[in-house]
Amino acid sequence: MTSQEKLGRFEEQISPHLKSAYNLARWLTRSHEDAEDVVQEAFLRAFSAFENLRGEDAKPWLLTIVRNTSLTWLKRNRNAGAQVSIDESPQDPSEPSPDPEEILLLSCDREQVRRALEQLPSDFREAVVLREMEGLSYKEISTTIGVPLGTVMSRLSRGRDWLRRILINPDTSLSPVKPEGGSGPK
Amino acid sequence: MKCDDSRIYLSAYLDDELDVAESIRVQKHLAECRECREAQDQQLALRSALRDPELHAHPSADFSKRLQASLRRAAKEEAQSRRPAWTDWLRVGSLRIGYLGWVPAAAALVIVTTVGALFVMNGMRSSHDQVIASAVLAGHIRSLQAGHLMDVPSSDRHTVKPWFQGKLDFSPPVPDLSEMGWTLIGGRLDYVDGRPVAALIYQRRMHNINVFVWPNHDSADSTIKEEDAQGYQILHWNGAEMTYWVVSDLNREELLDLARALRGH
Repeated sequence: MTSQEKLGRFEEQISPHLKSAYNLARWLTRSHEDAEDVVQEAFLRAFSAFENLRGEDAKPWLLTIVRNTSLTWLKRNRNAGAQVSIDESPQDPSEPSPDPEEILLLSCDREQVRRALEQLPSDFREAVVLREMEGLSYKEISTTIGVPLGTVMSRLSRGRDWLRRILINPDTSLSPVKPEGGSGPK
Repeated sequence: MKCDDSRIYLSAYLDDELDVAESIRVQKHLAECRECREAQDQQLALRSALRDPELHAHPSADFSKRLQASLRRAAKEEAQSRRPAWTDWLRVGSLRIGYLGWVPAAAALVIVTTVGALFVMNGMRSSHDQVIASAVLAGHIRSLQAGHLMDVPSSDRHTVKPWFQGKLDFSPPVPDLSEMGWTLIGGRLDYVDGRPVAALIYQRRMHNINVFVWPNHDSADSTIKEEDAQGYQILHWNGAEMTYWVVSDLNREELLDLARALRGH
């Protein structure tokens, strides 16, 4: 395959997923400018590794590269303090009023949803974005983020529960989330 | 099934990711438990809120174009790197004519010298400048290929500067510009205009910037001359002691900031 043929096939198979790639990078970096840099690098990496894509689905393959590029990028370009992630026991927002008669309404205000999702710890955020926005199956998510199926299930369940509690009580302040454990001395 | 278990499985149940037996257990529990049904309603509301297309981030048309251009550039560079080494020096020109593929060598030579010189330069008038601009651009592109970027990878100028001693007959200034957001990532020995020169590599937001430095034998002219060649910016000025050539795919404004910072040192 000449480089021109490769470029042609790449544009046919990979470029249609640019929107998904960009969306994932945007939600992981939480910045449009950063997302552009990440996607640019991820696409060049994907291009040079394109021969390795054999028979797999192009979208999860590309999203895996975008995800890894985002994480490397975040590590390299941000102080560890600014980066939030979650260990296995995040401080959850409190369950609102226990009154069983009260019907709890979930706020679907777009800006509140956006804010809640941005503040969701990143391990959960990526699972939610891949599932709800990109429509990936649990198996595809498991491959993309490199964790077992059971972990995908639990992250989605806990991430959604976290969002649900925030959106039922959108005015309450969020509990602090621990900075990523990997940044400090171990 | 208890409520706690039901909550754990509810999300996977709604995603249709449970096996039949588990699904039935969740269904049974939902039929019996009002609280879990409410949780289900909330999960469904959350799902539709998250699927709001307005929350999906879209790349700008401008970005898509830039991305396409850099992919094309990558394809051409790749085509180049697959060729034998003796054509290496044609690299700059063939950024433009890469699509010709294997042209007989003699024809390629004529086309490359003409096209190469034409496209690289029109802002930098002197033909000697044009030759050097081609050379530094070639050096920059070569440096982007794996393993070619640095001979001495270090962000410490006290490591980078001494490294050049003994390799060059001059001592290049290696300013620390980290406070201005320019990270020094290393240095490399390169060849431009028939002489060994120092290449300093700075970085900003994933963009590599090659700063080529060697002693200036012409009169000093600190006006920054600039050129845009196929997505790369080339800046050049003659300092009192050193001549500078700066190359990167970073945008023009930021690169000019770097040039001014270097010039001030």
